[in-house]
Amino acid sequence: MENKKVLIVGGGLDGVRAAREKADSGCRVTILEKFPSLGAERIPRDRIVKPEEAFENPDLDEVRNSPHIQILTYSNLKKVTLEDGRAKAQILKRSLRVDNSKCNDCKACIQVCPVNMFDDFDEGFSFRTAVDCYNPRTREYNIYKEDMPVCQRECPAHLDIRSYVGLIADGKYMDSLATIRDRLPLPGSIGRICPHPCETACNRQYLDEPISICFLKRFVADMEIHEGVEPVYHTPEKKYAEKIAIIGAGPAGLTCAHDLARMGYENIKVFEALPVPGGYLWVGIPEYRLPKKLLQREVDLICNMGVDIQYNTRIGKDISFEDLTKDYDALFIGVGCHRGLKLRVPGEKEYEGKGIVDCVTFLREQALGNVKEAKGKLIVIGGGNAAIDSARVGWRMGFDQVYILYRRTKKEMPANPWEIDAAEHEGVILQYLAAPVEILGENGRVTGMKCIRMELGEPDASGRRRPIPVEGSEYVIDAETIVPAISQGTNLDFLGAEHDFKITRWNTFEIDEETGATNVSGVFAGGDVVSGPDIAIHAIADGKRAALGIHEYLRNK
Amino acid sequence: MCTGRLDPAIVAIAFKKGLDGLMVVGCHFGECHYVSGNVEAKAKIDVTRRLFKHIGVNEDRLAFRQCSSSEASVFVRLVSEFDALIRSLGPLGGDADRLKPSEIFKKLEAAEAVLAGEKIRWLLGKRTPFLESGNKYGEVFTEHEFNRTIDMIILEETEVQRILRELRKDNQSVKDLAMTLAIPSERVFRYITALKRKNMVELEKVSGRTPIYRVTEQQV
Repeated sequence: MENKKVLIVGGGLDGVRAAREKADSGCRVTILEKFPSLGAERIPRDRIVKPEEAFENPDLDEVRNSPHIQILTYSNLKKVTLEDGRAKAQILKRSLRVDNSKCNDCKACIQVCPVNMFDDFDEGFSFRTAVDCYNPRTREYNIYKEDMPVCQRECPAHLDIRSYVGLIADGKYMDSLATIRDRLPLPGSIGRICPHPCETACNRQYLDEPISICFLKRFVADMEIHEGVEPVYHTPEKKYAEKIAIIGAGPAGLTCAHDLARMGYENIKVFEALPVPGGYLWVGIPEYRLPKKLLQREVDLICNMGVDIQYNTRIGKDISFEDLTKDYDALFIGVGCHRGLKLRVPGEKEYEGKGIVDCVTFLREQALGNVKEAKGKLIVIGGGNAAIDSARVGWRMGFDQVYILYRRTKKEMPANPWEIDAAEHEGVILQYLAAPVEILGENGRVTGMKCIRMELGEPDASGRRRPIPVEGSEYVIDAETIVPAISQGTNLDFLGAEHDFKITRWNTFEIDEETGATNVSGVFAGGDVVSGPDIAIHAIADGKRAALGIHEYLRNK
Repeated sequence: MCTGRLDPAIVAIAFKKGLDGLMVVGCHFGECHYVSGNVEAKAKIDVTRRLFKHIGVNEDRLAFRQCSSSEASVFVRLVSEFDALIRSLGPLGGDADRLKPSEIFKKLEAAEAVLAGEKIRWLLGKRTPFLESGNKYGEVFTEHEFNRTIDMIILEETEVQRILRELRKDNQSVKDLAMTLAIPSERVFRYITALKRKNMVELEKVSGRTPIYRVTEQQV
């Protein structure tokens, strides 16, 4: 056991004793404790025990004075990996926020500390100040700071919500916007369309209702346009020459490009298959939810940083994927989920394109202005936001009647409740507890759809009640157009028939959770192509992660 | 004298002596000879106004106005306007305030102790750096957050100072304190335990089953 390194997790009585034993046998010991001081739980000053008797452990001083023992207090063990018989530990060491070498234990900080916290040690019987000495015997002071606020923790991109909402309250709108832009390059777009998981978590809802975090973001972004301020996204003086290719100008790709440009990369090229930027933000989200002009303005801001977007370039068709990997130093794949899933009912294949359009194509063609006719009845199948969007877009295009068919009830619908209400208000007819059985057609055109009534059974794995068909309840709806909107899948055809990527069973990329790197060196991925169909802010978080990963990869190459 | 030098405790003392209104006139922002004296003065007066509002004194009795030394006409206007305002509010403890004269001076005494206490002073002194450059870890606070913290401290400190004032008169139990001060006994208990931690209050004796507390002499 000579000269071995030992990590002991836990600085209680047993941990301290074990550390001493190991140190005596000649090992180099690191002792890790999650609380700010060694030696079991905190003992408050006003316990019946006198301070000098508070925690007496003969081993404690020895451990502290031993040259072979390194003490890491206020630290958490994050990850342990085994490699060639050696263990590697990743430790998060938090700051005590008090320089204990300068502290003379006058307790003045406790007397004036402005922040009172719930003291879980004595079940809230007393106020505990944020600055505190953890154990009167060890006299180690620390400032206790809990995790980040719930809204920030819940947001995939971890926006500094507390600050920017506070700055709006102070009336400093431009400062607030700058705080948002620090982590989010598309504030106006996200402020309109985000399903805001932050507001779902907001603590204010227990008092009255959550803070409107999402629309506050939109407000400051609109305020800038209203005031006529032309912002500039700055890039640093020091430039890096590496060439980076980004596939897909969606939220993930644009954010990745923005973050890399902000780090100083000059040669960033974004390849986009469509003639427009934004990915789903442009071709999936309807104009009434996100004006294209506004999205274009925010994309232009990113382009002005020196990011080059090449439109109408589909990888695998116009440029092969192999060429890209050869020509560029690093690659980010953010192609999204642009393939609508099939209903798998009889008649679907037969009438594909002759009345059956999947929601992705339907919304895209409408957004690009390629739609010729819109008349008769439209049926949208599904209950997500894509279904509601398709129905509301169809209503605006001029279909005579628009139906949404969903196999569960309104309560189980995954779409945002306010979107469902808006669709109902506009005149879209929602039919719950119904599912398609067969597509009917005549002379090569869709004429209608046979549906079946459902009833709800026991809850399934997702916690929602499983729909069960009611036998003999089939009925027919006449329709000229049917839009299945039952989720989207990825399209990885651009990789070619043979590739080395690890692909999951959902046909998405398998990536490293820390950096966004795929198993192929130098290729990173993020957004819907990794997570499956998800919200935009999640793709943005992935783009940011990949940007950091690419930076780390290129600098250590 | 610079308005930034004005100690908020003096304001409370002035009102305790029966003043009906007080106007502090400082320089315009950006014209301070000491760079930021008037900003500090405004912050101090704002906090004092918040405290007055909390204890039930009409906060309009205290005002911060700005005027340069060469603007005689402005000064005259400010004074006559403030004079008219105070005349409309009437004497201290009248209809304009939430408190009757018998209580108002007790409350003002507590207010003086709060404003003279370390907690508010330290926080006010740190206000500008917190809002502008942030703390040692670069965490900048918003005005909104700062005011929320101040409001919380005003609420707690007034009650703490009233408890300490009672304890200085006579050593008492939590129950007696709750009775005399009309603060719920669980809150009094929490303050007492917190004060014990801070070495400001200590146990004198246990009479029967009830602990009696006394104020610890502070060593300077």
